[in-house]
Amino acid sequence: MGNCIIGPSGCGKTTILQMLAGVEQPDRGLIKGSIGKRVSYVFQEPRLLPWKTVAGNLDFILRDVLPPVEKNKLIDHYLKIMGLDGYRDSYPKALSGGMKQRLAICRAFAYPHDILLLDEPFKSLDTPMRLGLVRHVIKLWLAAPRTIVFVTHDIIEALLLGHRIMVLAARPTEILEIIDLNMPHDRRNMGEELLGSLYTKLLDLLDKENKKYFPEL
Amino acid sequence: MKNSSWLIKTLVQLAGLVLFFALWQVLSGFYNHVIIPSPMEVGRSIIDQAGSGELWEHGRQSIARGLTGFGLALGIGTPLGLLIGLNPVAAALFRPVVVVFQVTPLISWLLLAMIWIGFSRVPVFIVFVTTLPLIVINVFQGVHSIDRQLLQMASVFKINKDRIIREIYLPQVAPYLMAGIANALGTTWKAVAMSEFLSVQTGIGASMAVARINLETADLFAWTITLIVLGMLTDRLLAYLTRRKLSHWM
Repeated sequence: MGNCIIGPSGCGKTTILQMLAGVEQPDRGLIKGSIGKRVSYVFQEPRLLPWKTVAGNLDFILRDVLPPVEKNKLIDHYLKIMGLDGYRDSYPKALSGGMKQRLAICRAFAYPHDILLLDEPFKSLDTPMRLGLVRHVIKLWLAAPRTIVFVTHDIIEALLLGHRIMVLAARPTEILEIIDLNMPHDRRNMGEELLGSLYTKLLDLLDKENKKYFPEL
Repeated sequence: MKNSSWLIKTLVQLAGLVLFFALWQVLSGFYNHVIIPSPMEVGRSIIDQAGSGELWEHGRQSIARGLTGFGLALGIGTPLGLLIGLNPVAAALFRPVVVVFQVTPLISWLLLAMIWIGFSRVPVFIVFVTTLPLIVINVFQGVHSIDRQLLQMASVFKINKDRIIREIYLPQVAPYLMAGIANALGTTWKAVAMSEFLSVQTGIGASMAVARINLETADLFAWTITLIVLGMLTDRLLAYLTRRKLSHWM
């Protein structure tokens, strides 16, 4: 199930993911459903180890969880579907921004997980690259469907990927709206009428939210 | 294109060297050879020292002392720097000591070493205390330059502490350690000669003391050149090693 969280910057989207991953503790209350679940993560930045090769970066997170043969098979598999098999032994400095993020996505999918967290992973890329990577994520996800929590501030990304889109309000952070979207992924393109109307609706919601803080606009 | 620019650069460097020796030659003509010996005299002195085995005998002593002191500083300084970088209690405990080590004047170390451990071991001790802070501080800075985002990544993927140190901290520290080693080796040869001059009868520094007393200025120049060559050799070697070991990912 693909959950998308969309909302203005500063509303705590990243914090939610970090609490789900257990690297940040809630001040109060508790998180249900993620206890004991294996979590994998795509960060806003690639966060690759510059001193390890492309394959080495995958090996880094897999070595402790998989036996060698299986591990190497998995590395080959993911590098291949993400079009990085020609760069196995390259170092991250030789990769473009989009390739680095692709490797980070490989890493997250290859790591055994029940929940995959993605934190605005395409933030720093241009639009065609972004759409391409969203499709890559969908492809990988369809091959091994698991719970995804995808944080973004980009409505199109949310519409292409999400089964459930949660719109957050800033200060205080609360859920403004939940939209369920059951259209199969292969039919989702922005020309679809339903997606078009949802786009307008979401844009409207976010715009209204923004106006609360800047009434003069 | 690239080749010809390389050739021009080499030619210009050679011209600079020739100019330097020409100036030296001219200058030595105006002064007594006790004040400024000519390049020829210095060259002869080097050849004589090499021929008599003196160059090797004293050079060997200085190199051995220098490398012993430096090796001790490296062996103790690297883990100490890591410890200070990783552990706040260790930082509070050792950092002031390292700073004190660093700012203590060389002459104080020299005199104290003569009193504490006897003349013969002064050079090794001096090299050790002057290079130790350089290693510790560089390693410490390397640890502090660590990318917090990489550490968070490792913790999300449940990498254990031991592997985080070996596979994130150590590679991150490596370039800083290399810079510290380069810095420390530069200091090593200077410190060794200085302390030999004041404390012992053998080694390059001691030979310089003898040359000074005998007004053998050409010998003094010869030993100076030996020290310069030693410093340049270690510097080049280190630059080569750094390039080979680190340039593929940096």
